[in-house]
Amino acid sequence: MNDTIIRLTARQLFGQKRTLFIGLLVVIPVLFAVLYRLNSEESDPEHWVAKVLFVRVLVGSLLPFVALIFGTAALGTEFEDGTAVYLLSKPVQRWKIVASKLLVAWAATAAFVLVASLVSAPIALQGSGLDGSSLVTGFVIAEVVAAFVYCAIFLALSILTAHALLVGLLYVFIWEAVLTNLFSGLRYLSVREYAVALAHWIGNIPDSVLGPHIRGVTAVILLVVIGVGAVWLAIRWLARWQIGETA
Amino acid sequence: MTVIGAAVVDEPIIATDATVRVEDVSKWYGNVVAVNSVTFGIGPGITGLLGPNGAGKSTLLHMLAGFLAPSSGSVEILGQRAFGNPELYRHVGLVPEREAVYGFLTGWQFVVMSAKLHGLADPEMAARRAIGRVEMTSAHDRPTGGYSKGMKQRIKVAAAIVHEPGVLLLDEPFNGADPRQRLQMMDMLREMASAGVTVVFSSHILEEVERLAENVLVVVNGRLAASGDFRTIRRLMTDRPHTFTVHSSDNRLLASALMSSPAVDGVELFDDALSVRASDFARFTLAVAGVARQADVTLYELLPADESLESVFSYLVNR
Repeated sequence: MNDTIIRLTARQLFGQKRTLFIGLLVVIPVLFAVLYRLNSEESDPEHWVAKVLFVRVLVGSLLPFVALIFGTAALGTEFEDGTAVYLLSKPVQRWKIVASKLLVAWAATAAFVLVASLVSAPIALQGSGLDGSSLVTGFVIAEVVAAFVYCAIFLALSILTAHALLVGLLYVFIWEAVLTNLFSGLRYLSVREYAVALAHWIGNIPDSVLGPHIRGVTAVILLVVIGVGAVWLAIRWLARWQIGETA
Repeated sequence: MTVIGAAVVDEPIIATDATVRVEDVSKWYGNVVAVNSVTFGIGPGITGLLGPNGAGKSTLLHMLAGFLAPSSGSVEILGQRAFGNPELYRHVGLVPEREAVYGFLTGWQFVVMSAKLHGLADPEMAARRAIGRVEMTSAHDRPTGGYSKGMKQRIKVAAAIVHEPGVLLLDEPFNGADPRQRLQMMDMLREMASAGVTVVFSSHILEEVERLAENVLVVVNGRLAASGDFRTIRRLMTDRPHTFTVHSSDNRLLASALMSSPAVDGVELFDDALSVRASDFARFTLAVAGVARQADVTLYELLPADESLESVFSYLVNR
């Protein structure tokens, strides 16, 4: 870790436009929750919160999208505008650069997604008489863990290619959202599926509410393997980075 | 002192005190060869990397800076491999060509950040000294995003010298600088060189290199076309045959008078002008006025026909 790089990255990531844009995205799940409360003819709020709000909106869309923006921007914008050279021409070990950038991207992603989750879920559950705390806890922990893995993947991608944003979008919205539904075997290569399985496991969510496709233990192992793998690749690729490839 | 033995590269000679060593280095991208078996060694002092745009200067400089791995050969700075060696940056400063700076940081914050990333004991003290050297003290509290091109250049130099490197690499450092800033930066680089720093800068402008560099590496089409003392290279460039276009009161009479001059190889008469091929640039330019006066011809115009840097370079390559 390097606190100079952490501070620099925080200032880069929280540029006004980007923060405002993501702030607006965070409002969407809250709006969904309000709309659901206002005309809820569905009798099972727990079911809606788990399957729609968390699985589709928060874990399935908002989390990967916010992680994609912060994960690719943390180092990617510096490659793009040429400022990465100032960082890389310093005697700072490459793992420290990756760790510092990842920490900021992860913290930013987790913060925005947690706010969206902790505001929207209680609104949707309100007045139903249900105690959704274990469900919400399960999902919130899963979101924080998955945020790390997503950010690590997108950070590594941004070192490898100048088209990280496009590749990330294809992964999130084609691979995870469409292909894993068509071919069930692909679920073992989907961070979103790991997150759902982890939430199911930690939150003790009944199978009737949320039928996960992967066992919790398997999900944890895959999250660790892929998270560590992505960080390792990011460090390796940064150490061998050559100017002109992504710059 | 910087030592490059050969004025023209036949047998590459690497000085024993070379801080920067490039041995048989090539760099290719797919089928495109950017740098083609280049060998040189340079020591303390100022070395100019001269060549037209796209000649491979930046590629060479990026390899020296450790941002490109050579496809073959070796690049060493202070006896260590340049690529993939972050520790080397303790002794190397780099001023990149691209204008980009962290626009949200002030000049002061940018240089202090550089000092902190170098792990200096007193980053603020080092930053104050470096900013003073580039004469940016009065503007250091403003965000770099609002700086002019020349100011950005100077604050980039301050960030690059904050740790007092033994080797300083600058990619086109005078781009965007006004004449006063240019002189000031040249003075600063001379000062550093006399203090024993190896300064390497690239430029496509002959005059810049002539004024500043003690030693020159001429790069054309990815190859080292010439290297050595600037005066030697200048002579190589000016001793080549030159073509001039002349307008005068009597072109035919002047043509016959010029043919008797040993500095002239041949003349060609056109409708309203005379094309003169001179064997020696210096002798011809000295002789032409006298020849015209003796023949009682008035000279209206004397134009060098092919003075572009590219033609000078291609001459050096093809000779």
